[in-house]
Amino acid sequence: MDFSVLSDAMASKSFEKIADICDELMLQAATQGIAFNDEWPYAIHLLGHFYVDDINSARFLWKSIPSSIKESQPEVVAVWRIGQKLWMRDYVGVYEAIHGFSWSHEARDLVASFSELYTKKMFELLLSAYSTISIQDTALFLGMNEDDATNYALQHGWSVDPASRMLTVKKQPVVTEQKLDSSKLQRLTEYVFHLEH
Amino acid sequence: MNSVESVVAQIQGLSSSADDVTHLHGLLKQSEELLQSESTRLAPFLAELDPSKHSLGYLYILEACTAAPNAKEQANELVLSIARFLNDCAAEQIRLAPDKFVSVCKRFKDQVMLLETPMRGVAPLLTAIRKLQPSSEHLTSLHPDFLLLCLLAKCYKTGLCVLEHDIFEVDQPRDFFLYCYYGGMICIGQKRYRKALELLHNVVTAPMSTINAIAVEAYKKYILISLIHLGQFSTSLPKYASSVAQRNLKNFSQPYIELVTCYVNGKISELEAYVQANREIFEIDRNLGLVKQVVSSMYKRNIQRLTQTYLTLSLQDIANTVQLNSPKEAEMHVLQMIQDGEIYATINQKDGMVRFLEDPEQYKTCEMIERIDSSIQRIMTLSKKLTAMDEHMSCDSQYLAKAGRERQRFDFDDFDTVPQKFNI
Repeated sequence: MDFSVLSDAMASKSFEKIADICDELMLQAATQGIAFNDEWPYAIHLLGHFYVDDINSARFLWKSIPSSIKESQPEVVAVWRIGQKLWMRDYVGVYEAIHGFSWSHEARDLVASFSELYTKKMFELLLSAYSTISIQDTALFLGMNEDDATNYALQHGWSVDPASRMLTVKKQPVVTEQKLDSSKLQRLTEYVFHLEH
Repeated sequence: MNSVESVVAQIQGLSSSADDVTHLHGLLKQSEELLQSESTRLAPFLAELDPSKHSLGYLYILEACTAAPNAKEQANELVLSIARFLNDCAAEQIRLAPDKFVSVCKRFKDQVMLLETPMRGVAPLLTAIRKLQPSSEHLTSLHPDFLLLCLLAKCYKTGLCVLEHDIFEVDQPRDFFLYCYYGGMICIGQKRYRKALELLHNVVTAPMSTINAIAVEAYKKYILISLIHLGQFSTSLPKYASSVAQRNLKNFSQPYIELVTCYVNGKISELEAYVQANREIFEIDRNLGLVKQVVSSMYKRNIQRLTQTYLTLSLQDIANTVQLNSPKEAEMHVLQMIQDGEIYATINQKDGMVRFLEDPEQYKTCEMIERIDSSIQRIMTLSKKLTAMDEHMSCDSQYLAKAGRERQRFDFDDFDTVPQKFNI
């Protein structure tokens, strides 16, 4: 099988493309009647789905993996452990699953990159959902130790109350470009025209 | 006297221009009987044809030689060769013989199922749909087969790509029922509940003269997804639904209707008890997973209800009112709902309080204008389509004859040979 498209994407760290590339390759292989199961990079494929936040597709992929593969490839099982935690919204468990396995050379970069992305997403979530949150919980959500988590939060403008060990969330004002061009006016004209006819 | 050899020669000679192909189509129609009688010795002739150039001829011969039942050992070879044909054939040629094309594709699907490798059929059938349909608004007989293979192969994401297009042209009602039902299941699997509801709603409200199993199963799922996604379900169908559906669907889905009654009461323990007692029914219907989601959606519904009454509430109070075990559990529920955009709130851990907020969307960003714009565009296209259909119908001779007769019967003075306007 020709995995060059996949290896190119991995090499250039275009991780957001991995899931689509793997899906496509898998359908092609199936169409040609190739027995691809044994050499298929299931771990990478699953991670690719996690990376673009498509846990549903990851779950269906996991369900389609033959049990012989699940028994013989511990890394695939380890990747799915991350998937289970994501599926269950066990925010802290995700980090435990990430750190609970020594990843192969192929998967290492992708796992690290996913972990980083996940931390960012968790920080966004905390930002939108909390006004105050304990240092301890922040550390759990971000998958860091308490000092690192405090520093991370301080860098983003949050403030810390040492007495209660609580962080106060500072919401960033969202700046969006608000520019209208003449095409909008054109479209409004079209609407009025449509309504009158 | 015609022979297979001469048919092959005709195909080779008459496949270059559009006129030639039309001529060839006529000749092939005449040779159909010959091809059928010779079906067993046709296979080798395929090698003499190029599927991309001689698509129409190739299709006729392929159709004839796959007509006979084949041994399972040949299935693999057959699947490979049909897949190759579907990939290479020229759309404009095969569209001349859509029935033949569909029949080859159906046999292809059957073989793939026989081999128990549904994934082998996914990509070829998608290609086949794209080649067969004149536009993405047309539903083909291949749509339901494609979606079924996607479901069996667990390629839900691939299935979504045909569901993105709105369908306006339907030939066979059965295709439409199955398309919407399987499509609904794909969307449920990908948690696109809005789209799933739309598709299932189409099945339930589609015109039907007798009740059918597809509609019944769709109705059951429609109930469950309504509860999960909207938190409510109205047991009365809209009045444009067929009278058959109005009368029968509820009777066939009694346990589900009772589930709705139970859900509306808002008591999680009662709902759990009801599900436990009727577990087997839901399991046989293969809906137990969705039923479980209904149960867990009730926590959300109850929390959402709180936002309508309170501005701030302690996590402890939330846990008490929605019957969760601890304030921490309540916090996690609220957090998930914020993450999914189901409520707007901020959690204050220091005081153990939750403050419920209004939807921050102010409908004045460029992004929102784009969204509204695209909705308006869609509605405009739709309304133009409706007008066109309306006009088309008022020119239909059968319809005019019928409408004219009825009018005459009711009100002779008002009789008008060409009805000007119809209120639908």
